[in-house]
Amino acid sequence: MQSISRYFMIWLASARYSLVRATMFRGDLFIWSTVELLWISVNVVVIAVIYSHTRTVAGWSQYEMLLLVGTSMLIQRFLMGFFWSGIFEMGRNVRSGLFDFTLAQPGDPLFMASTRKLELDGLLNSVVAGGLVAYSAWKLGLHPGAGALLLYGCMVACGVVIHYSALVMAMSLAFWITSSQGVEGSYFSLMEFSRLPREAFKGLASTIFVWVLPVVIVSNGPARELLHGFQPSWAAGLSAATAAWFVLAVIVFRRGLRRYTSASS
Amino acid sequence: MIKYTQSFLVGLQSNLVYRWNFAVRSVFWFFHLVVVFILWGAVFASNPAVGGFSFRQTLTYFVVIFVLQFFIGAFNEDYQISEDIRNGLINQFLLKPINYFAYRLSVFAAARVVSGAFGILALVIALPFFRGYLELPHDAWRILLAVPAMALTAIIQFSIAYIFGLLAFWFLDIQGFVILSMAVENLLGGQIVPLDLLPHTAFNILRFLPFFYQAYFPASIITGRQGLDFAVQGLAIQAFWAFALVCLAEFVWRRGLRHHTAAGG
Repeated sequence: MQSISRYFMIWLASARYSLVRATMFRGDLFIWSTVELLWISVNVVVIAVIYSHTRTVAGWSQYEMLLLVGTSMLIQRFLMGFFWSGIFEMGRNVRSGLFDFTLAQPGDPLFMASTRKLELDGLLNSVVAGGLVAYSAWKLGLHPGAGALLLYGCMVACGVVIHYSALVMAMSLAFWITSSQGVEGSYFSLMEFSRLPREAFKGLASTIFVWVLPVVIVSNGPARELLHGFQPSWAAGLSAATAAWFVLAVIVFRRGLRRYTSASS
Repeated sequence: MIKYTQSFLVGLQSNLVYRWNFAVRSVFWFFHLVVVFILWGAVFASNPAVGGFSFRQTLTYFVVIFVLQFFIGAFNEDYQISEDIRNGLINQFLLKPINYFAYRLSVFAAARVVSGAFGILALVIALPFFRGYLELPHDAWRILLAVPAMALTAIIQFSIAYIFGLLAFWFLDIQGFVILSMAVENLLGGQIVPLDLLPHTAFNILRFLPFFYQAYFPASIITGRQGLDFAVQGLAIQAFWAFALVCLAEFVWRRGLRHHTAAGG
């Protein structure tokens, strides 16, 4: 318990530092907020274009799809806000040897590396993504109660952990390959699947992207919970995947860490 | 010319060092194709044609875009250029009789040879899955026009990346601008949806923007989405944009140098 509160205090100090930094570089905050907003807009435009040529995609209407994409983005914005910068820099620091500074800090290296910075732009745009979900729910005539919203929140949190784990594993490749530059793109490629409805996956694709890689259930779980109410199988599947992926990410990171030889020395 | 040939050869070697990055990227680009296949497969499940094109034609379009990006797309040239400026490495080019644009262009060409090889490799691996879904027209004029269109696309893509990289003369961190432009380029360049699926007015406006020629234009020639007249007119507009962007790159370089301070010994 003492350890948790110590880590919470460390995280709070990092958050305070990030907040001060963000207010110092206001132009930067504006640009990154615009970037995030633009990516959300791109996705909305794509849905609008696709649905101008069809009425349903795998049985999902335009606003159901928008709710799904909004949920996927909400998860991704939380990841961006809380963890992205730290993990992204980790890949580069491993190559340059600057990762030594992370290792020298008094805490678990993965925690220290991934919570070093908080990105306000990502967190600000999570409000936009949340707005997209709320707007879609309103257009669909959904009226979820407090319990449903709480469960939705928990499932989104599970999604963030899964995304975090996938990103840690992708960036941990830096311990094995010469440079992790561009590898972060692999995370985005993989997470594209989370914007697709479960019903679109058939055969081998269903096995890989629904059952082996939890990229589909990450967003479909919470979205379905809002659309169709509590579904125990989805909640259980998502919880199990969250635990498994987090453990796997920690193992991969620690195995990688053993290979780290401090390039600067 | 010899010095740029040497730059090309050195670039070839240094890019081969990062072969695993290209390999990882190819694998995940393949995932992107799978997303496209699943999404558009779901769209076409309830529509025999979308925008006048069949599923096979649409999938072929995305496969061609995929291959083109590996051969002529700018990946992280902007980042490399900004790092040259930020770290002061640019100073060595100012002291030598070498044109930085030409040097970077030769390194870009070398990188594309390596990434193109991996793109082809990824395609060969993916071909057994996609072969039955590909449909390319056999008109000879398409090949004749596609070759200069691809060369001009490479120049446009590189020039835009170069200009964004040069922003490091004015800004400490240009990643925000780069990702901002990436969102715009991906959407308006037709990498996310074929531009001919957009409303007619939007399509006609986009025809006169450089983004249109970053991916959609050569892909539309190769895949038969546009006819001969359109291709010839497009080639003229594309040549204009390639010329204009090279001029703009030179202008930004000159203005940027005025801001540059070469510090250190």
